[in-house]
Amino acid sequence: MLEDPYRFVEAVKNRREYLADQLQQASPVVGLPYAEGLLLLTTTPGPRKLFEIYNQVAFAAVGHPADMEKLRKAVIDLAHLDAFNLSPQDVSLQRMVSQGLGPLMKDAFDEIFRSPFIARALLAELDPPTGQECFYTVDADGSFGSSRTCAAVSGTPQSQTAILQYLENNDTAALPLEPALERALKAWGMGRIALDREEGTPPDEPALKDYLAQTLPGMRLEAAVLDRGRPTKSKFCLLDAPVLDQALAPYSSGESQ
Amino acid sequence: MEGGDFLDLLQARSPQPPVAPLAVAPGPVHEGVEGTTILALRYRDGVLVAGDRRATMGNTVVYDRADKVLSIDDDAVMALSGSPAVAYEIARTLEISFQHFRRTQLQELSLDGKLRSLSRLLRENISMAMQGIGAVIPIFSAFDQLQSVGKIYFYDLLGAQFESVDFCTTGSGSPGIRGALYYLDRWGEQPLAQLEEADSLALVLKMLETAAEYDTATGGFKASARIYPQILRITANGIDALPEEAMAPFYQAQTSRST
Repeated sequence: MLEDPYRFVEAVKNRREYLADQLQQASPVVGLPYAEGLLLLTTTPGPRKLFEIYNQVAFAAVGHPADMEKLRKAVIDLAHLDAFNLSPQDVSLQRMVSQGLGPLMKDAFDEIFRSPFIARALLAELDPPTGQECFYTVDADGSFGSSRTCAAVSGTPQSQTAILQYLENNDTAALPLEPALERALKAWGMGRIALDREEGTPPDEPALKDYLAQTLPGMRLEAAVLDRGRPTKSKFCLLDAPVLDQALAPYSSGESQ
Repeated sequence: MEGGDFLDLLQARSPQPPVAPLAVAPGPVHEGVEGTTILALRYRDGVLVAGDRRATMGNTVVYDRADKVLSIDDDAVMALSGSPAVAYEIARTLEISFQHFRRTQLQELSLDGKLRSLSRLLRENISMAMQGIGAVIPIFSAFDQLQSVGKIYFYDLLGAQFESVDFCTTGSGSPGIRGALYYLDRWGEQPLAQLEEADSLALVLKMLETAAEYDTATGGFKASARIYPQILRITANGIDALPEEAMAPFYQAQTSRST
C-alpha cells in the first residue's frame, strides 16, 4: 500500500483516528507553576502517572501504561547519559524532548505496520536555563509544544483547551502550594467535564464544584511537585496522603450535601 | 526488553575507550597520584569516613585540597586510595547508576546491589590496575537501613569485596595507624564501634595526624592554611560533612595535651 501516496495519507489518517479513539477517555494531567516551583496533578485508576526523570525534571503521561513506561524509561536513559557524559547541569528538557522523545514517538507513528505509542506526555523542568520553557507536551504523533506558564495533556484537544483556558484566567504562579493545588484540581475538573461534553460554554463555579463533588470520591488523586525549597539535589516529590486529603476535603461526601 | 542497568546502557549507547590488554609495562612504571591515608570507623550512631587532603606524584605534592571521601547517594560514601582519575570516574559512574536505578525501578538499589556494582567496575579496571597505572582500592561505607546499622566494606584491586568490619584504613599512611587502631579496639576501654561520636571524631583526627607524621604522602592538619582532613558522618539521618569551621576548635580541644 506504500506505493500509493493516497493510501499512505489514508493510513496516517486511520492511525490518527485510532489514537484519538484509544486516548479519548484519558484523565487529564495538569501542570502549573506555584510560588515554590511546579505542580503536576492528575487522577489514576491504578498505576502511577507522575514520575521523576532527573533532579529538576518530572514526567507525566496519559495513555497505555506499557507505552507510558517505555517512554519514561527512554527519557530517564537520555537524562542519565547526558548527566554522565556531560554534567548534571547539562541535562536539558528542551533537548530531551526535541531530539529524544519527539522523534522517538514520530518514528513509531510513521511506521504504519507497527503500533504507535498510545500516549501523550507532559514534562516539566524546574527553573530551566534562560530562554527555555518549563513545560513541554508531546502528542502521540511526536508533535510537541512548550509553554512558560502552564500545560495539560488529556483525552481530547477540547479538554486540553478547557484546562489551559481555566489556568490562563486563574494564574497560580504566586500562590503557595495549598491554593495552587485547589486551582489545579479545578482545572482538572474543567478538563474532565470537557471530555464528556463536546461543546458548550464552560461550567460556572458552582457547577464545577458539584461535578467535582460527584466525581472525585471514586478516584485516586495523584500530585507531585518540583519544589526548589527541597534541600536535596532531587527537587521532585510526590505529595503525600494528608496533603491530598486536605485538597479533597471540600468535595468529600460529608460536606457536599 | 532493555534491562534497568545503567552500566549496560552506558556500554551500549556511549562506548568507553577500549581498555589496554593486560601486559607488563615496558620500562619504569608510572607512579600516578597515589599516596594517601583514608580511614573508616564505626561508632555508636553510624560510620565516620575520613581522608587527608594531599595528592602526590612520586615525591611531589600535586595538590593539598583533594577530596578523597565522596558521597555517592543519601546512604553511601566511597573513600578512595589509588589513582584519582579512575577513582573519580568510578564514583561518578556509581552515583549516576544508582540514581538511574532509583528512577527507572522506583525503588532504591539494595546495599548488596550497590556493593556488586562497585565490584563490577573494579573488575573492569583490572588490566589498568595490573599495569600499575590505575589501581584503586576503595572503602565503601553505607548505612544499612534494614538493619539500622552503619557498615564498612573494603575491596582489593581485583574487585573482591570483603565483609563489613569495625574499622578500616588504606593508603600509604595506613600501616602507621593500623596497629594502633587494632590495639585500641582490642584493649581500649571499649570497642571502637561503641564510642560516642565526639570520642570517635577525636580518634579519627589523631589517627590522621599520626599517619601524616610517618608518611610524606599524607597531608597533615594545617590550620594556618585552613587545610583540614575531610570527615563525613553516615547515620540513620543520612550523610553530612563535618564543617571546616568546627574542625579547628575541636582539633585544638581534643588533641592538645593538658599538662
